[in-house]
Amino acid sequence: MNGDEKVQGQRKGVAVYLCGCRGEISRKVDLEAVAERLKARPGVVAVGIHEALCSKEGQEFLKKEYAEKGFERAAVGACSPTLQGLIVSRSLEEEGMNRYLFDQVNIREHCAWVHADRGAATDKALSLVRGSVAKAERLLPLEDIEVPILGAALVIGGGVTGMAAALDISAQGYKVYLVERTGELGGRAYKLSMTFPTHNCGICCMQYCKECVFTPKIEDVIQNKNIEVMLGTEVEDISGGFGKRHVRVKGTDGTTKEFDVGTIIVATGTKTFDPRRIPELRYGHPDVITTVELEQLLVEQREKGEGLRRPSDKKRPKTVNFIQCVGSRDRTKGNLHCSLVCCTYAIGQAREIVKIDPDAHVYIHYIDLRGPYRGFEEFYDAAKVEGIIFVRGRISEIVLDKDKMFVRAFDTDSDTLLNIDSDLVVLSVGQEPADDSDRIAKMLHIQTDIDRFMKDINPMFPPEFRRGIYVAGTAQGPKGIRYSIEDARAAAASAVEVMKRGKVRFPRIVAHVDETRCRGCGRCEEVCQYGAITVAEDKQRGVLLAKVDEIRCEGCGTCAVTCCNKAITVYNFLRSQVEAQIRAIVQEEA
Amino acid sequence: MTEGAFEPKIVAFTCTWCGYPSANLAGVNKIQYPPNVRIVRVMCSGSVEPSVIMDAFESGADGVIVIGCLIDNCHYVSGNKNAQERVDALKELFDIMGMDSRRLRTEWINASERTRFAKSVTDFVEEVRALGPLPLKRESKGTKAKTKEQTVAAVKGIIEDTGAFDCVECGKCTTVCPIAKFDSEFAPRAIVLRAMEGIVENISTDRDIWTCTTCEQCNSMCPYKVDYSGFIRGMREEATAAGAAPLCSKGGIIHATQRIMANSDLKQDRLRWVKQDMKVADKGDVFYFVGCLPHYDAIFRDRKDLSMTSICESAVRLMNKAGVVPVVSNDEKCCGHDLNWTGNEEDFEKLMEHNVGLIKASGAKKVVFTCPECYRTMNMDYADLKGELGFEMQHMSDYLKELIDSGQLKADKAGGEPFKFTYHDSCRLGRHSGVYDSPRKLAASMKGCELVEMVNTRDKAICCGVAGWANCNTNVKRMQVDRVMEAKKTGANRMLLFCPKCQIHLKCAVQDKVHVDKALVDVVIEDFTVAMARMMGLMPQERKASTDGDGGSKAR
Repeated sequence: MNGDEKVQGQRKGVAVYLCGCRGEISRKVDLEAVAERLKARPGVVAVGIHEALCSKEGQEFLKKEYAEKGFERAAVGACSPTLQGLIVSRSLEEEGMNRYLFDQVNIREHCAWVHADRGAATDKALSLVRGSVAKAERLLPLEDIEVPILGAALVIGGGVTGMAAALDISAQGYKVYLVERTGELGGRAYKLSMTFPTHNCGICCMQYCKECVFTPKIEDVIQNKNIEVMLGTEVEDISGGFGKRHVRVKGTDGTTKEFDVGTIIVATGTKTFDPRRIPELRYGHPDVITTVELEQLLVEQREKGEGLRRPSDKKRPKTVNFIQCVGSRDRTKGNLHCSLVCCTYAIGQAREIVKIDPDAHVYIHYIDLRGPYRGFEEFYDAAKVEGIIFVRGRISEIVLDKDKMFVRAFDTDSDTLLNIDSDLVVLSVGQEPADDSDRIAKMLHIQTDIDRFMKDINPMFPPEFRRGIYVAGTAQGPKGIRYSIEDARAAAASAVEVMKRGKVRFPRIVAHVDETRCRGCGRCEEVCQYGAITVAEDKQRGVLLAKVDEIRCEGCGTCAVTCCNKAITVYNFLRSQVEAQIRAIVQEEA
Repeated sequence: MTEGAFEPKIVAFTCTWCGYPSANLAGVNKIQYPPNVRIVRVMCSGSVEPSVIMDAFESGADGVIVIGCLIDNCHYVSGNKNAQERVDALKELFDIMGMDSRRLRTEWINASERTRFAKSVTDFVEEVRALGPLPLKRESKGTKAKTKEQTVAAVKGIIEDTGAFDCVECGKCTTVCPIAKFDSEFAPRAIVLRAMEGIVENISTDRDIWTCTTCEQCNSMCPYKVDYSGFIRGMREEATAAGAAPLCSKGGIIHATQRIMANSDLKQDRLRWVKQDMKVADKGDVFYFVGCLPHYDAIFRDRKDLSMTSICESAVRLMNKAGVVPVVSNDEKCCGHDLNWTGNEEDFEKLMEHNVGLIKASGAKKVVFTCPECYRTMNMDYADLKGELGFEMQHMSDYLKELIDSGQLKADKAGGEPFKFTYHDSCRLGRHSGVYDSPRKLAASMKGCELVEMVNTRDKAICCGVAGWANCNTNVKRMQVDRVMEAKKTGANRMLLFCPKCQIHLKCAVQDKVHVDKALVDVVIEDFTVAMARMMGLMPQERKASTDGDGGSKAR
């Protein structure tokens, strides 16, 4: 960069850069041939090939080109811009190029890696890059949108995730509103008798054990001046956009409260699977209980010290059968996903039972044992040594016969059908999204996945993509306690990061209204899911016009399609741009 | 690729959140699929415009696949559902046009479903490969770049042909111009003046050439009979040659369908609206030229209360009642009106040749039209270019009046409740063609109905705002709302009109938000033919309940 660098206005034309990706692309695509064809295209002022545009050398190469070639815009054929981020354009941006004048198409994941034929891959790469050039020619130079971020956070859900996030955010000096639907903090984690595989208790016994040190404590949250805890309260409505969202909450007593926040942590957690949905498990029977209920029995036994008693007759169960994957890993009987924590806690509970009553026979019926945690393997080995019997195979049903109960199971290891007497059956119920999860997701426009859990925006995307909303803990999918807390702390750190910055810039890929064409019919306003468009009277002209709130707009373009007069369009996905791109792609000539 | 074998060109629109990443993952996992697929990233599958899809086909694609998030998991809440609805409507249009709806597909794939992505696109490529290339003649559209001298000469010719030299700059045209009323910068006279001074440099950017609605208010007022609309039509042709393009409604999809009709011999399926109990023929004396009505039902499927094929159905039922079995043809193509008025003379002439040949082959002595635009185009523009066509042309209003006068059509059965209505003279029927009396006389055939006139009526009627599906804007809406308010002021609760496009435009203006009190535009807008058939008890009962009926045009 020297003093007499070319001014943007004097720059002209499109430069094309092709990345060989150290052979990943160049092995399959004849980049020289592509370059040769593109050189002939009018408007293309420079064509270059580099073996790795994202490397330090590649970036230097682009800088040098930008200084020498005098191009205004650039089209790049390289890796996926969404998978890798715009790592290629960074140096051009540093040199002063408006980043909206840059287009990148994917000739690696979408071309070189998926087509064996070099000729066909080269043809395809050429057409994709041609499309990119056509689009680049029509891109508009834009400015980012700058949004001030309010220094206050809302945490939805007062389980361990929510508490951990609230504590971390408040520790940085920000106000936190912690909204919990039930009457108490702590969530399910605080109802556990202990946590595994460390085999420590879940409830604070006032002794600073290892697990406890890292688990957020209710007292800390309640005593914290920066955290406003709202128990028995639900989030009723959230409006506004990135930076400042208006929240209305409603208590069970009918009182409402409204406040503004800059960031939101969604920690709505999970609920456990309801085993009544699988009738053959006979969940109605008093001695068929879930692992959550067993936790309560274990707590009672610890308080009373009279051993584990089964619910029906308070006798000590001699044979206990654990049924794994209840509601998990089977779409026909619940959910397809694995709930991740059940193997660990079932083994822990089994060992606890054996510890209380060394004569007890404990069976664990499993499909696969999954415990992707440190210490799990040792924990499992210890259980086998302690005499816990692991039976691989699905159980067909729990049979109730007069006063007896037995488990009919198929042991796939020995290929035999087993009928095991059982005094107590414990169902290892899986996790599924909390009841209100769907409503919250819709309210905040969070995408949900096939398993109905919320999808957090891939952290690989730049922070502004998350728009100040972070999904943490089991709201994202089944997780253990410590992983939920790690998640909470990462989300809190991200939230604090944007609040600390005080403002965030994000791309102006938003809707834009051509006021001469707008007929003020309001169809765009109607279809916008984000409340980003309002149709109001333009007093001067006496007509109705649509106005876009750029901060609320997510740039989806639904409005643009709805508009019969194409008066509303999304920047850099304008019809003319997309159309030009496609024409260049499908037409034969270069 | 092997020489000669057909390799389809497939455009895949993929959303940023699922479609595109699933292709990324397929790449990362090196899952192979045919290279025919060209991936284009858009923000959301719901942002893929039907007009862009159409353009892809027109430009050379053989198949288009839209790939978005799983249906209940759209990143933008419901974008994919909107996309599905639009693609479904577009598929209907494809089938009517004979483009084959199998060339268009949607797939809802989660970002992680790489194998499904590869499988879906592979399947699609195979299907389109089996369908073969889309038989469109895609020659470059007459890019005969003219020199400045040539343009100046052409403009001079237009000025002479239209009598524009006679303009005395009295400004009467501007006073009656419905656009000039709202757009202070617009004056018909000024465009003529600029052209006469030989200013052609800005012909491709001159907004006013396109702003004119060609309603001919000015023509009818001009003391020196300057053919102002003819002048505009000619100028548009020159402007197009210089690279200008109109701003078309619906992203230009309507013009695209017309261009495709002009440049293909696709096997259409445009007679879906003909019901079992209706009598139509392949050959006969009377040819009923239906026009684009079947297309509109697909293109405007998202609009409430708009059934264009009820117009042709009504027309046929009225003719049947009078004992006439009209010829309706599955091979009919657009009359070319919109292309003719938006500077695309080349495709217009192709359509003209086709339609004239088709009508002649049917042996018809008379052609009747419900659409005033089709009527004007054939009666005046075809005749101008081709001379005597060899058959008589008549608008439906004239024809029905003739049938009533001759006693063939009798209003002997009562239909719906009588109403008080006002009649909107469409410019193509009124000022362009001089048909004013027949519609008013037809009012008598609807028992108990009363016609009240608007202030601006007959040759003073205000335009519906848009002609040739181009250049709708904020001012046009004010014009339209004013027109409907005028109708309301007559005290009638219904506005009848013959032009299907006037109906679409006026309904479009008042159905959603308006800048005036909604009660002021609370008028039922209905096609005259439909109202007549209804009042004469000719429409099947189930139609009123607007259920899907017997394989009606709204089949989903």
